[in-house]
Amino acid sequence: MTPRRKARSLPMRIATGVVWVVVAADIVLVGWILLTSLRSGTDILNHPFGVPTHPKFSNYSKVFSDGGFGRAALNSVLVAVLSSVLAVAVAAPCAYALARRRNRVSGAMSMTFAMGLGVPGQVMVVPLFIGMAKVNLDDSQPGLILVYLGLAMPFTVYLLTGFFAGIPQVLEEAAVLDGAGAVRTFTRVILPVARGGLVTAFLLQFISAWNETLFAIVLTHSQDKVTLPVALSDFVQEAQLNGLDWGAMFAGVCVVLAPMIALFSWLGSRIIQGMTVGIGK
Amino acid sequence: MSTATIQDSSRARRSRGGSAPRPPVGAAPLERSRRRMFWAFTAPAVLVYFVLFLVPVGYAAWTSLYKWDGIGPKKWKGLKNYQTLWQDPTFRHSLTNTLKILIVGGVLTFAFAFALMLILREMNRKLFARSVLFFPCLVNAMVFGIAAGILFSPTGPVDKILEALGWSHPPQWLATQHLSTMILGTLIWTATGYYSAILMAAVDQIPEYLYEAAELDGANAFQRFRHVTLPMCWDVISVCAVLWTVSSVKIFELILMYGGSSGSQPPAGSWNTAMYVYTEAFPTASTPQLGLATAAALVSLFMVIIFTVVLRRLLRRDPIEY
Repeated sequence: MTPRRKARSLPMRIATGVVWVVVAADIVLVGWILLTSLRSGTDILNHPFGVPTHPKFSNYSKVFSDGGFGRAALNSVLVAVLSSVLAVAVAAPCAYALARRRNRVSGAMSMTFAMGLGVPGQVMVVPLFIGMAKVNLDDSQPGLILVYLGLAMPFTVYLLTGFFAGIPQVLEEAAVLDGAGAVRTFTRVILPVARGGLVTAFLLQFISAWNETLFAIVLTHSQDKVTLPVALSDFVQEAQLNGLDWGAMFAGVCVVLAPMIALFSWLGSRIIQGMTVGIGK
Repeated sequence: MSTATIQDSSRARRSRGGSAPRPPVGAAPLERSRRRMFWAFTAPAVLVYFVLFLVPVGYAAWTSLYKWDGIGPKKWKGLKNYQTLWQDPTFRHSLTNTLKILIVGGVLTFAFAFALMLILREMNRKLFARSVLFFPCLVNAMVFGIAAGILFSPTGPVDKILEALGWSHPPQWLATQHLSTMILGTLIWTATGYYSAILMAAVDQIPEYLYEAAELDGANAFQRFRHVTLPMCWDVISVCAVLWTVSSVKIFELILMYGGSSGSQPPAGSWNTAMYVYTEAFPTASTPQLGLATAAALVSLFMVIIFTVVLRRLLRRDPIEY
C-alpha cells in the first residue's frame, strides 16, 4: 500500500488512545483469567487483583480428577479433530465440483448449501437428539462427530467453493492433456495447490467444534463421553451445591481457553484471514 | 435414497435441456469428464447434508405441529403450539430479548466495528491491535460468562476500580434485572473485533487510486468515507448483517453460564429463544415439551428468514466492479 498522509488530528489521537486502552484491557483480562486459575478461592474473593505468590496447581489437579477434565479434554480433541477432518474430506470434492461446474443444477445446489448457513442450531437440536437415540448413537463420540459433520457442511462447502474458484483452470487443463482423469487431477494437482484453503477450513471447523456447547450438552452426559464445555458447565453446576471454588472454576475455564490462545498465537493470521476474507466472497 | 433422486433429476434435466448447446463430443475432454465426475464428487456432501441437516430441519417443522414428550404417542396440535407460545409470557420475553440482541446489539456492534476499523487503519501496529481485539470471538463464551461472575461481583475488580475512581455505589451488575444488558454488552465486546476485522479486509481491497482521485477532487476525510469507502464495501456490509442475524439468534452458552453463579438454569429474564428451546425440550424437573420446543425453534428460524430477506432488500445496491 502506498503511504498515505496520516491525519494526526486531535480526535484521531484520542480515538487511537481509546483503542489501545481496550487492547490493553483485553490482554489484562486474559492474563487475569490465567493467573486467577492459580489462586485459592478465598484469596480471589478478598483480593481480586492479587498475583499468585504461591501458585496453587492443585486447582488443576482438582478439575482434572474431580471434574473429569482430563477425559473431557481428550474427548474434545478427538471429536473436534475427527469431525473437522471428515468435514473437509467430504466437503472439498463437492466444493470443487460446484466451483468448476457452473450451471443450473450446481447453482441450485450451492444455494441449498448456503441456505443452511441461515439455520440456527436450536432448530436441529431436538430432531438430532431423537434421531441419534433411534440409532443408538446418543451419548457417544461417533454420534457427536456425525452431528458436527452435518452442522459443518454449509459453511465448509461455502468457504471452499470460494477458495477453489480462485484456483486457475489452466492447471487442470494441463493435467487433462497429460491424460489424467478427473479424480487424479483433483487429488494430484488441485489438492496440493489448495492445501492452504483446506487447512483454513479445518482450523475454523476445529475451533467451532472445540467451543460447541448446545449439542454437546444435549447429546452427551456420561462422565467418559462429555466434551470440555459440558464438563465445565457440570462443574459449575456442582459447585452451586458444594460451595463455589473460584480457583478451581478458573482452572477449568483455562483448560477451555488455553488451547485457543496457543492456536491463535501460532496460526492467528491464517485464522483471521479465513474468517474475514472468506466471508466476503 | 437421496443420491438416487438427485441422479434422476439430473437425467431429467439433461434430457429436457436437449436444445441447449452442448460442446461437440471429443472437442472438450475436460468438459466431458467433469460432467461425469460432478455427481461422484458432490454425492457424499449432499448425502451428509441431506441426512444430518435438511431432514432434521424438516422433522423439527413436523414435530412442531404435535404435542409430544419424546416417549409416548404424538398428539396432533396443528398450529396450536404456536398459539400457546404466543400466549406464554416467558416465550414472549425470550423473543423480546432475542430481538433486543439482534437489533440493539447489531446496531451497536456495527457502529463500534466501523469506528474501530477506521481508527485501526490509521494506527501504527494495527495488525497487533486487530489480533488482540479479534481473539475473544474464538473463545467459548462460557469463559467470559464465568469470568464476569468475579469481575462484576460487588467486591470484584470492576467495582474496586470504579471505587478508586470515585464511584462508590456502582449498580448491582449481576442482579437479575441487569443480566440481559450485561449479556448484551459482553456480546458486543466479543463481536466488535470480529466484524471490524471483516470490514478491514474489505476496505483493504479498495484500490488506493480511488482515494487519490477523490482527494484530487477535493473530498475531505468524511466525503472520502461517504463516497468511496462505504459504497465499495457495501456487499460485505450486507453479508455481515446477515451473518449477525444468524449468529445472534443462536447465542446459547453465554446466557447459560453468565455470572457463573446461577442455579441449574439461568433466570428466565435473561433467556433468548435458543435458551427457551433448550429448557422446554430438556427440562430438569418437568416433562419435555418437544412440540412446543421445536415450534419455538421454528419461530427463531422464521425470524432469521424474515430479517435476512428484509436486510437483503434494504441493503441491495448495484454491484460495483473494480
